[in-house]
Order: sequence, then structure tokens, then C-alpha cells
Amino acid sequence: MSASETATETVSESEKKIHGVTAEFTSVDTLLAACRRVRDAGYTKTDAFAPFAVHGIDKALGIKPTVLPWIALIGGVTGVTVALCMQIWMNAIDYPYIISGKPFISLPAFIPVAFELTILLASFGAFFGMWALNGLPRFSNPMFTNPRFDRVTDDTFFLFVDSKDERFDQAGVERLFADCGGEHIDTVVEDDSPTKVPSFLIVAWLVSVALSIIPLLIVAKMRVTNSSSPRFHIFFDMDFSPARDAQQTTSIFADNRAARPDIPGTVARGQVQDLSFTTGIEKLSSNAPKPSEHLVAFMQESDDSKTTGGAAQKSVMDTTVWLDKNPRKVDASLLERGQQQFGIYCSVCHGMNGGGNGLVNQRAQKLSQSTWIQPSSLHQETLYSDKYPDGKLFSTITNGIRKMPGYAGQIKAKDRWAIVAYVRALQQSQNASIDLVPQAKRASLEKEKAGVEKRLKEEAEEAQKKAGESKKDSPKPA
Amino acid sequence: MSLAIPNGLDNTVEKPGQRAPLVLGDTTYHDITETVCQVAERPPSKSWVAGFLVAFALLQMLGLTIAYLLYTGVGVWGNRSPIFWGWPIVNFVFWVGIGHAGTLISAILFLFRQEWRTSINRAAEAMTIFAVACAGTFPGIHVGRAWLAFWLAPYPSLNLWMWPQFRSPLLWDVFAVSTYGTVSLLFWYMGMVPDLATFRDRSTNKWRRMAYGLLSLGWSGSSRHWMRYEKAYALLAAFAAPLVLSVHTIVSFDFAVSQVPGWHTTIFPPYFVAGAIFSGFAMVLTLMVPARSMLGLEKLITIRHMDNMCKIILATGSIVGLAYGTEFFIAWYGQVGEEQFAFTNRAFGPYWWAYWTMVTCNVISPQLFWFKKFRTTPWIIVVITIFVNIGMWFERFVIVCTSLSRDYLPSAWAYFSPTWVDWAMLIGSFGLFFTLFLLFCRLMPVINMSETKSTLAKQYHMAHLDDDHAAATEH
Repeated sequence: MSASETATETVSESEKKIHGVTAEFTSVDTLLAACRRVRDAGYTKTDAFAPFAVHGIDKALGIKPTVLPWIALIGGVTGVTVALCMQIWMNAIDYPYIISGKPFISLPAFIPVAFELTILLASFGAFFGMWALNGLPRFSNPMFTNPRFDRVTDDTFFLFVDSKDERFDQAGVERLFADCGGEHIDTVVEDDSPTKVPSFLIVAWLVSVALSIIPLLIVAKMRVTNSSSPRFHIFFDMDFSPARDAQQTTSIFADNRAARPDIPGTVARGQVQDLSFTTGIEKLSSNAPKPSEHLVAFMQESDDSKTTGGAAQKSVMDTTVWLDKNPRKVDASLLERGQQQFGIYCSVCHGMNGGGNGLVNQRAQKLSQSTWIQPSSLHQETLYSDKYPDGKLFSTITNGIRKMPGYAGQIKAKDRWAIVAYVRALQQSQNASIDLVPQAKRASLEKEKAGVEKRLKEEAEEAQKKAGESKKDSPKPA
Repeated sequence: MSLAIPNGLDNTVEKPGQRAPLVLGDTTYHDITETVCQVAERPPSKSWVAGFLVAFALLQMLGLTIAYLLYTGVGVWGNRSPIFWGWPIVNFVFWVGIGHAGTLISAILFLFRQEWRTSINRAAEAMTIFAVACAGTFPGIHVGRAWLAFWLAPYPSLNLWMWPQFRSPLLWDVFAVSTYGTVSLLFWYMGMVPDLATFRDRSTNKWRRMAYGLLSLGWSGSSRHWMRYEKAYALLAAFAAPLVLSVHTIVSFDFAVSQVPGWHTTIFPPYFVAGAIFSGFAMVLTLMVPARSMLGLEKLITIRHMDNMCKIILATGSIVGLAYGTEFFIAWYGQVGEEQFAFTNRAFGPYWWAYWTMVTCNVISPQLFWFKKFRTTPWIIVVITIFVNIGMWFERFVIVCTSLSRDYLPSAWAYFSPTWVDWAMLIGSFGLFFTLFLLFCRLMPVINMSETKSTLAKQYHMAHLDDDHAAATEH
């Protein structure tokens, strides 16, 4: 008790006001027992201090439950309301967005943000509400005047009765604490240290606030005033792209053209190919002094032939020495590729079988288009390989003929050769004799042929019969 | 007033009718305070200084590469058509996933009254916040003009005269990740206030006392304060539990709401959440196992804690493995050509190496945790969890890059190649993470002292009940 006596003496000497009396305990069980006795003795302005949350202490001391959950609920309700109103107003009313044909007020899409804001504001309610109800932050606390109180955050439990309690009587409380097994029973005095914030802190705070406002003021002033000087661009090349468009000029090159022509003597990547492979010409005519001039004549010729519908005089087409043979290796895979490419590009006019009656032609005939020139059948003898070499056929696909446009832009050179190979196969298919078929396979082919003929015959008969019936059925015009 | 539990006790053994002790040794409340405070109070060890210097150097690398990116433009990354997301988004999802363990341990294990969480939750929560900081960096710079990233916020703009589009998962993501970061920070800070008060009361230096005094807000340990504090903690846990599940769900919406083959699947939300918990726990173990021996915390972070976490890794790893299988099943069962192609391409296309790295690390390696030997040997745990971290990074890489590199239009297919900037930013983000984590170890209480003390109090209480019981039977 010597500690408390000295404390009392100090108090009387300096006439400090007594805040209350504390006792220390070292275990939860003794603390809880003491709390119950203090409560039963009728004290109400009491408190216990512990290094961790002691379960059951609110009951032992008679502490009422907290309203904190209600604060969190208010936060949550505010969150969901604000979130829904915000989304509906922003996306449906003030600036209606049309997104994938969804309704402007599409609640399912608004759920995630509403959920997040509900959680956020409910958490703010719980967090800030807790500190507010606890009266924290509070840096000046009479309890902290006792140096022994530092151990409350380590391993010591304190029980405290406030001097404002109606039944407070210092000697009685001290006796009660001693009975409960409390150690180091002490009086706590009011903290009379200055509570004023040091003036240098206030000055520093004011200065920093003033300084932080300056940039904002500059921005605000700039926003509302006009200026004759140009706008400041932090990243100039992101505001104005230095890249030029095709028809624009540039000062970088001497000719001032932004679009650069091919550099002489170069070939674009992936375009290095044998000239005869890309033109179908075996060697250029001896009449032409230069290959390029010959090619120019050749191109003009094919343009003329398109407009005049085929020139009568001996043209450059006839003087050219064409490649006789397909430069690609003709095998099943090439023919397959050719068939596919033919199906995509050629069959719409020339028909799947090359007969010249594709879907476009059928449609044109139906519409009776007078300007329509019927696509050639590929099965004319003049187009057979002895009269129309592979190179020439290739050149026709490349540059076009009559109404047919050139396909160099759409079909790669190697695929044009595949088409040439396939056209040859088509021509053979319409003209083949049974002798070309190996002996072993002839029988099955004959059988198939007979079957097909029989089916065709039956179909024809059926059609005839149907036609007769429908004639009978239809009412005769009176 | 102490309870003698031998240091070498194997607390992974379950005894019927008894709770396994979670604090080992002849430990008192004061011992817990000493053990935790010495980490921050003694001068930094050489290994800490070395680790900090390396991490800080990597952080500078991240800062410099970001400056280079902002100055030059996003072309410095390997992001090219059609893979516009690339590594920045891979890294974002990776870090957000890591950031799930902390709040999960704090909130969900709290709600389930899993008391073993008390000695690991603080570090795990810190890890969450640092991982979310790393995650937030990437979408921030990925927007291209990072100085206009504030356009994501719904504010009345005088430049745009328009509002954000609230039907977009990318906007939901902004709200989800920022809410998650904020609530995790509040939760972490609130949990730390009583321990910061301990630091304040122990500090001998005036400035230290002032700093911790300000941070601890004048905490006095009053039982009224504790009661409201516990209530607030339970409320925050209840709010954070659905929040932690919602965040990775919404991150998965970024993918699942799109039409890209391999992304447009309903399994994504649960699959992403399981993967996030998986990677988060792996990261917690990767950090805690070395930290517990380096910081001398073996009595508080026991083998039982690691054993429990390994079991969670095993469970979530198996869920992730099941999800991988289900994706393939649905691709086959759904009979959508693009979807089937996307998954065949994942496993056997040009990115097969990434896919099988992911499967090996994520599905096969955690299966070793079926054996107790693997769950209780620290160095094995570290090796396996590092594999899991690698696997989970690859999972995000596989999802982002394989699907984008080959979608509907074959003429637009491409192969992703990272640049040195991609590498520097990935490694630099680890620098940011470890710089923050190492500072945390030095400046903040690494273990939740107040909760560990209350666990110890329960342990005392149980022991007294046993003594009484024994005494009663003797008579």
C-alpha cells in the first residue's frame, strides 16, 4: 500500500484532482472475478483495461451492447442506394448509353458496382463508427500518467473505478480491490499537461495547406481564362501523331511525298520469283528490244482486247513464246489446291465443271442482261493445251480477257498455276476415253456408269409423269 | 503463471477431446510481446539489409521502366495485335490472386473460428495489401495514357461531358479492386492498432514513441473499446468475406463476359477464386516459412499452422485441377468448334510448353501434400509453394495469351513475345512487393500479439479445466 500512500501525498501536495483508482491483475480469471465483485458492489463508472479482448468482461462489468451494427447497416444501405441511383442517372438518364441493345436501366449489369459500394460504405461505417464511439483518437488520457500503465498493452490487466461514480469512496474502493487480490492499487490523477496543440504544428499545417492550394488555384485560373499562347502539350507526339497519311506531304524527303515508291532494284519481301513463273512467258519476243517494253506492249494489248472484244490482227499474244508446261509439279495435292481455288474464284462464272454456266451466268441469263458476255466454256478445242499453252492460260487468269478481269491481285501466282493444272484436268474429264482407265478399274467404272444412266433415265421418266399429272390437275382456262 | 508445453511437441497430432496447442513452449503473455517486438526493436540483421537492398534496387528498376514506358509509349511492351493484353494483364491477375489469401485468412477463417489464423493473419494481410499495390500498378499503366487514368472515376468531367460505362466488366473491376484495397487496408490497420500501442508503450526513443503514439490513436485497452473493437472486427470480417470472393469473380468477368474462345465460360468465377486462394496461400507459405526461422517465431508459427495451410493448398489445388478438366469436358460437350479449337490449341498448340508447365506446377505438385512428411518439412513446403507460384503465373499467361493469340480470324493469329521491358516490370514488381514486405517486418508488429495472447488465455483456461478435472477424479 506504500505506493498508494505516496500517490495520495503527491496529490495533496500539488492538489491534483483524482481521476479514479486502479488495481492490477495478472490473469483473466482473477480480473473477471474482481469485475463481478465491483459490479455487485454497485459501482457503475468502472472500466477494465486489458492487453487483449477478454471474453465475458462486458457482462462481468455490466457494459451495454454497442449500436455499431446499426451504423454499419446505415452505411450499407447508403452504399447500395447511392450506387444504384448513380448508375441509373449516369448511364440511363443523363447520358444514355446504347450497349448491345440492353435496356438503359439494366439492373443485372449494375449489381457488381452496387455490391462493392455497399461493402465499402458498410465497412466505413464499422471502421469510423467504432473509432467515433470509442472517442478515439484521443492522445491525452489520465490513465497514461501512470508509468505502470504501459504494461496494459503487454501482460497486465487493470481494473478502474472512476471518481465520478456516485458511490465513489477512495478507501472503500481500495479495500475492495485488495480483497479481490488486486496488486499495486493506485490513484490516477487528472492529466494536467497542456492539451493545446503546439503552435509550430499549427503554423506548419497552415503553411502546407496554403502551399497545396496553389497548384489547384493555378489549374482553376487556367481553366477559366483565355490565353493567346498555345496550349501546353506534355506529350506532343501523343496529341499529334507524327505519322503521315498516304496523300500528305512531308519535308523529310526531297520529293515531298509521304508515300514512298518502291526503291529501284528491290523486290518486296516474299515476292522474289522467276519472271516466267509470274507471267507464264517462256522467253520474251525477239521483236522487242527490251523485256520491259515487251511487257508494256503486252499489258496494253490485253487492255485493248478487253475493250474491242479481241483484236483481229496478229497480236503480241500470238508472238509470245509461252511456257508449255506447268512449272509446278502436278500431283494430287496441287490438283486439290487448284480445285479449291477454282471453286472459289472461277466456278461462279465458268461453272463447277468449267462449262461456262456458273451461277452468275444463270442469273444474268434470267435477267436477260444485254451487255452480258457469256463466259467461255473451257472445253472448247481452241483452249486445249496444244493450241492454248499452259503459260497462255496462266496469263489469261493473271491479266484477264474480254469482260473477265485479271486475278493477279486476288490469287497468288502459285495458286494460279494450280488452277491451270486443274483446268487441264477438267478438260480431260470431258474428253476421256475408257482406254485411259487402267484395265483393273474399268469394270467398276462401267458398272457405275450403267447405274448412273439408269438413275438418270428413271428421274427423267418420273419428271415426265409429274409434268403430265400437273397438267391434268391444273384447271383448264375457260 | 505459465503453461509448460514442450517446444518439440508435435502439435499436428489430433487428440480426441483436446484442442491442439497453437502456442508452444513455456510461453507467457510477456514472452509473446518480447518475441514479436524484438523483430522490430533489435538492429537489422545483415540478411535483412542485403534483402532490402536487392528489393529496393528492383523497385528502382520498376520505376525506371515505368518512366520509360510513359515517355515512349506502350509499344515498348511485347503487346501486339491481336495480343493487346499481354504481360501487364497477366501480372495484374497474378498479383490480385496473391492478394486474396490475407483477407481470406483474416475474414473467412475468423468467421469459422479457426484460431490458428491468429499468428499468421497479420503478415498475410500485409502481403495482401502489398500484392494489391503491385496489381494496381499494371492496369494503371496499361491504359496507355496513365496520366488520364482518373477518367475511370465517375466524376463530372468538363472535358468529356460523359460518364463511365457501368455495364462493362472492366469498370466493375476498377470498383472491385479499389474497394478491396481500401477495405483490406482498413482491416489491416484496425487489427494493428492495439499492437501499435504495445510498440508505443515499449519505445524508449521520443520520436518512435510519438510516431507509434499517433498511429495507435491513443489506444488504452479499455474493455469498452475492446467490445466495440471486437464488434467492428467481426463486422468487417463479415463484409470482407463476400468481398474477397467477389473481387476475383469480377476479375474473371473481364474474361468471361467477352466472346473470346477459351474465355467465354461460366466456370471462370469459381475457378478464378479457387486459383486465387491457392496462389495466395502458396505465397504466404513461401514467405512465412523462411521468416519464422529468420525472425525467431517458431513458438508462435508452429508446424501445425503450416500443416493446416498445406491442406488448404491441397484442397484448392485439386479444385483448380478439376476446373482444368471441366474446361476441356465442356469444350467437347458444348460442340462449339472455336471453343474446341481453343482448348486443343492450349494443350497442343504453340504454347504447349506453358500449358504443361502450368499443369505440372498447379495440379501435380500440390498432390504431394497428401503425405504428412511433405506438409511438415519446411524446406519441402517452400519448394512446392514456389512451384505453385510459378504455375499460377503461367495459368494467367495461358489464359490471356493463348486465347488472344488465336481467336476466330486465322489471318490475325500471332505469337506473343515479351520484350525486355516486360521482363523488367515483372521482376520489378517483385521488388516493390519485397521492399514493402521487408519494411513491414522492421516497422510493424509481424504477428497479431493481442489475438495470440487471447488464444494463449484460452489455452490456460482449458489447462485449468483439465487440472480441476484431474483433481476431482483423484478424490
